[in-house]
Amino acid sequence: MSWRLRLERSVTPSRTTVLLVSLLGVVAALVFAVPVFWAYKVSPWTAYTTIAQRSLGSWAGFMEVLRRAIPLMLCGVGLTLAFRARFWNIGAEGQLLAGAVAATGVALFTKIPAPWLLPAMFGAGFLAGALWGAVPAVLRLKLRVNEVISTLMLNYVMIYIVEWLVHGPWKGKTMRGFAYTDFFPAAAQLPLIPGSRVHWPTLVIAVGAALVVALVLSRTRLGYEIRVVGQSTDAARYAGIDFLKVMVAVMVLSGGLAGLAGVGEMAGVHYRLRSPTHISMGYGYTAIIVAWLARGSPLAALFTALLFGLIFAAGDIMKASLQLPAQIVGVFNGLILFFIIGSELLLYWRIKWERGWTGKPGSSGS
Amino acid sequence: MKALRWTLVALAVFGVLGLAQAKLKVGFIYVGPIGDYGWTHAHNEGRLIAEKTLGIETVYVESVPEGEVETYIDLLVRQGCRVIFTTSFGFMDGTLAAAKRYPNVIFAHCSGFKRAPNMMSYMADFYQVYYLNGLMAGALTKTGKIGYVGAFPIPEVKRHINAFTLGVRAVNPRATVHVRWIYEWYSPPAAKEATEALIAEGCDVFAFTEDSPTVITVAAAKGLLSFGHYSPMYDFAPDYVVSGQLVHWDKIYVEFLKGVLEGKYTTKNLAHIDYWWLLSQEAVELGAKPGMVINPKHEAALKAVKVKTPDLGEISVYDLVYARLAQMGAPGVSFDPFQGPVKDRKGLLRVPEGFWLSYDALITMEWAVEGVVGPWPGEP
Repeated sequence: MSWRLRLERSVTPSRTTVLLVSLLGVVAALVFAVPVFWAYKVSPWTAYTTIAQRSLGSWAGFMEVLRRAIPLMLCGVGLTLAFRARFWNIGAEGQLLAGAVAATGVALFTKIPAPWLLPAMFGAGFLAGALWGAVPAVLRLKLRVNEVISTLMLNYVMIYIVEWLVHGPWKGKTMRGFAYTDFFPAAAQLPLIPGSRVHWPTLVIAVGAALVVALVLSRTRLGYEIRVVGQSTDAARYAGIDFLKVMVAVMVLSGGLAGLAGVGEMAGVHYRLRSPTHISMGYGYTAIIVAWLARGSPLAALFTALLFGLIFAAGDIMKASLQLPAQIVGVFNGLILFFIIGSELLLYWRIKWERGWTGKPGSSGS
Repeated sequence: MKALRWTLVALAVFGVLGLAQAKLKVGFIYVGPIGDYGWTHAHNEGRLIAEKTLGIETVYVESVPEGEVETYIDLLVRQGCRVIFTTSFGFMDGTLAAAKRYPNVIFAHCSGFKRAPNMMSYMADFYQVYYLNGLMAGALTKTGKIGYVGAFPIPEVKRHINAFTLGVRAVNPRATVHVRWIYEWYSPPAAKEATEALIAEGCDVFAFTEDSPTVITVAAAKGLLSFGHYSPMYDFAPDYVVSGQLVHWDKIYVEFLKGVLEGKYTTKNLAHIDYWWLLSQEAVELGAKPGMVINPKHEAALKAVKVKTPDLGEISVYDLVYARLAQMGAPGVSFDPFQGPVKDRKGLLRVPEGFWLSYDALITMEWAVEGVVGPWPGEP
């Protein structure tokens, strides 16, 4: 006789369970990061207290967390919507850059009068991101192209478009031959919270977007259709839902929100188009973890975005104040993602110990 | 005694600033990783030498995205850094904004052109060294085609390719320099691809702007010669690396920080301080590795090629390299690669006879000299 481990599929977990298990995953990641600090001869206690003091423990630090969270909120909220419809959008990075390109085009090459310039940039950025997001949706439904591949590949296409623009037709006359566009005029720059680098209008838009997406999901016909498509394609087909319409709508919103993030980075941080790797610090990819951790809830994505904003800001602090190497942020992101995905097991499966016979020779039980 | 004097000076400086710190704390913000074997690696070597020489405390941050420089400056200032170096062109506007925000901190920005009362600019430039490498490349090519793998078509790289080509054509007026752009500062795969394409085009000697020794190893595998870039790359192909460009950022860092410690440089008087340091300030060096100006394996070949020059008569390329090196290395510089007449490849006279190029013309150079072959984005 012996004890045996059995996994049993559990019913839908409660909200508290999800929160607790996710928190457990984050804590486990922080515990497993301890040897990394030891390897660099930094006391983990000093490390975490320094990070806490310089990020959440000070006004300037908290503002940095907030600034880093803004693009993650917009991309993350959009991705929760896509993931709810089981559309695996890996392309928020490219959709963000599409928004950045559109914002730059409007800021530098149109004559829209001052009060309308910023709204026009946000509008153009939304449209560009939406377009870049809708292409894979159409490809999937018309040609059965796997959206993981197409959204991912379109990121690279957009990266090269940005490189081409800053080295070619949009290269700034005032940049002495370096690969940047000219600076945006003052009317195309977002106001900041005084004493910080937080472009608050984008933050307001991000929170508003989360509310709108939450309402769409819970209170509209489109939201109902998205939920049905996400839960069972058969049921959706049976209910006569138009897949193309739903998928394109989802990706117009998802890509459009990522596009807005790109506008915010342009008009609030950089004020000019530059090399794509310096525009987005992989926000579009990190937003995948943000949306995953939020378990498909757009409102929760605001908070998980703040968590990853904190991780980005903590990475800055670890590099500058603790003299740790640049790869440290990647290590932290990786650990957290690993434990969050690992915690899925705890959420949807219950571990059971049972007493039973193991197949000993001669025994009849199996 | 010297140490005591420095200490006293430092104490005096801090007394004036009202700071209780014993050591000057200096921060460095790098755009790449310190292990890149190129730009950032070289700056970090300079930082370490400055720290040892001056007994100061230094901290650094690597791989900082250009748009994030202000965030990192904030963190370094909060840690007590009184001097901050930022080492990428893309950091310029962020550094200037921070300089206005922190009037009591000294800033130094590398490779740009904007300054403030508390922000100086500095650069160690290679164009003279590229010219000297060009002289050797022109003498050593058999096919008359020299390959150049360029990072980005920006004025700095264009200036270097032009100087290199002028050197080539000074000894071999019919030779051409074939350019391939890879649009990366560090990318061994792209550099390999470009080198192989240039080999297929018939190039047999190579120079490059990229932060890895890829061009050297790919060329050497085919038995072709090359010139090292930025770090000592002799060891990657001892038979095939003829010479190269080496940098000594420590010369600038030590000199400037000495000035800060002595009180010569303050937060009030940097608006016109621009270190544009070349061979004569020893910020750059000609060589395959420190101390080895020309690889001895190739000395005989360079001595065998004779050229006629307007000022030195008939002379071997080997002697010509040393002669020009001496002219540009001595404090009263008496030769410049871009001394007129210089025409661009469209036939326009860019530098008339008897003139040298101004600093502004050098750092904004977009045109290509005669002898450059291949795409040239932004060519006027």
